[in-house]
Amino acid sequence: MALIRTIGCLLAMLAGSVPALWAQLPVVERLEQAHPFVNYTELGGLFGRVAYPSGFGSPTEQVENKVSLTIQTFNGVQLRPRLAVGGVVGVDWYANALLLPVGAGLRYDLTRVEQNGVNLFVSADVGYGLTWLNRASTGNELTKGGLMLNPGLGLRFGKPGKGAFLLSLSYKRQTVDANKPLGWNDIRRDEHRVYNRLAVRLGLSF
Amino acid sequence: MKRILYVLACIPLLWTAVACTDNCTETRVFRQYTPVTMTTTQVRQGVGISIAQPLVKPGKIYTKDGYLFINELKEGIHVIDNRDPSSPKTLAFINIPGNGDIAVRDQYLYADSYMDLVTFDISDIANIHEVARVENVFMQGQFDGGWWSYQPANNNMVISDQRVEYRTQTVPTNCEATPAQPTSWWTVNTMFASSVSSDTKAGSAGGSSGTGGSMARFALYDKFLYAVSSSDMKLFNVQQPAKPTFSNTVSMSGGIETIFPYKDKLFIGSQTGMLIYDNSNPAQPKPLSTFSHARVCDPVVVNGNTAYVTLRSGSTCAGFTNQLDVVDVSNLLSPKLVKSYPMRNPHGLGVDFPNLFICEGDYGLKSFNASDPLQIDRNLQQYIEDVQAYDVIPMGTVSGQKILLMIGRDGFYQFDYSNPARLRLLSKIPVNRPTLT
Repeated sequence: MALIRTIGCLLAMLAGSVPALWAQLPVVERLEQAHPFVNYTELGGLFGRVAYPSGFGSPTEQVENKVSLTIQTFNGVQLRPRLAVGGVVGVDWYANALLLPVGAGLRYDLTRVEQNGVNLFVSADVGYGLTWLNRASTGNELTKGGLMLNPGLGLRFGKPGKGAFLLSLSYKRQTVDANKPLGWNDIRRDEHRVYNRLAVRLGLSF
Repeated sequence: MKRILYVLACIPLLWTAVACTDNCTETRVFRQYTPVTMTTTQVRQGVGISIAQPLVKPGKIYTKDGYLFINELKEGIHVIDNRDPSSPKTLAFINIPGNGDIAVRDQYLYADSYMDLVTFDISDIANIHEVARVENVFMQGQFDGGWWSYQPANNNMVISDQRVEYRTQTVPTNCEATPAQPTSWWTVNTMFASSVSSDTKAGSAGGSSGTGGSMARFALYDKFLYAVSSSDMKLFNVQQPAKPTFSNTVSMSGGIETIFPYKDKLFIGSQTGMLIYDNSNPAQPKPLSTFSHARVCDPVVVNGNTAYVTLRSGSTCAGFTNQLDVVDVSNLLSPKLVKSYPMRNPHGLGVDFPNLFICEGDYGLKSFNASDPLQIDRNLQQYIEDVQAYDVIPMGTVSGQKILLMIGRDGFYQFDYSNPARLRLLSKIPVNRPTLT
């Protein structure tokens, strides 16, 4: 298990840095001039809440607010002046689930690239949340990762071709399945989770 | 115009902020108990033979000479011709109210029927009939967690029992792995005590006996039939197989669940540990030692100097214990724990060294290589998750194939485990059971 986790970490790091490595090769240099390499690295919070009854069949509802840390990096190429496509790797710290989402994404500028100023862009990421990094207390193991969807809007502050600051707001949906400890007369007990969160992120882009 | 577009683009964000609620649901399947009563007359007159019937609530399995006996919980026994494991044929059904265990010596089949032990002559499958009955020997027991009891004093004829049904419930949770609390508690202690019946390895002085699984409460050894109930062991003399007679009772601590005879020892699985009895005098087994756990303890199987014990949650004494214990029994007077491995919900188990098969209840069947007792978890050969497994019997080599018999809530399966990393399904007898929600 530890080995799988280590490999998972290495893969994640590799996936994040492969486009950067490519960019160093002379062969790709011309290609790069036509389609420059793009990186968006962001850190932020996943905000949401949960409402649930206080017990089986209970009419009493409890509501809690939730916030989780999220880190992600998008690496891709500027396919068109306004459109960048690439891969996304991240880490999301949900309560009792540390997930490693990997997927494909795009960034599309809604505004014309201006020399000086602020650009509004749309982001859309789709992928799968892997459970490789998670460690759970016995009986609470994650059995399956699941689909990750992350569409949103962002602002990029900076000049084209130079580094820029990012501020983004997006909706993040992630599913995952977990075991639950069995009660005294249970023969099966499982949990299906769908995280619906508002992701607020700050980051850098170049 | 552009500004209006920007504003429009922000609408989904507002929606996002409103809709950001995690949806988590916990699904559990649990047993529900309903009290029922019946009379001893009903039970005794309910015995008979009928045509083959489909499996509904299969319990323990027992096999002898290519024939297979599958208990239908509290209803009777399915008789199956299994000489060709890839196409078993159901032959007949023996109606036995309150039956949970089976043992076969020569052509006689012993079965419990609530308080009685009933003997059937099965030499002619077309004409199975009751030949003897030892009355009022068992006072209480449980089937699939539901208790029954009977007090024969004062001409009492009423047996109290509990009907067990499976229910499925789904409830929203807080997504944080905290189990949802039931709003009401049942007061009945519960244990799945009834999956498969195990029997004896050999009967040195007796005739030929069959083989049962690790969950059995009946065992044949020498000229005795051992039947464990929750707090004692009843011995029946089967020197005359057609006429078993009640011999004596050996008192034990409470919570006895299974019996596994190995060589001249009896390994008894109880809720508090594994008891080892010296059986060199089969008429009077003597306690040797106890491997205690102060927890729920389930079936035991033994190979050489190693005992494999599975523990499963399902009791009020331990909130959560689901594990496999490997115990060194080379010194029978002082068994030692070698290592414990966490499991999901282990029930019956079977060993054909170095292969170890563990039933994980609704979570499937695991095939391990147990040659290194300290690395069993790293030697998981295969995990079949889409079956419901309650007990197994590894039969060893039968006509060139290694046959594994497995019973679960969804059917009776036979696998060829010649390659323990790729079990090959030979046949399946499905279960047709209504699901309640």
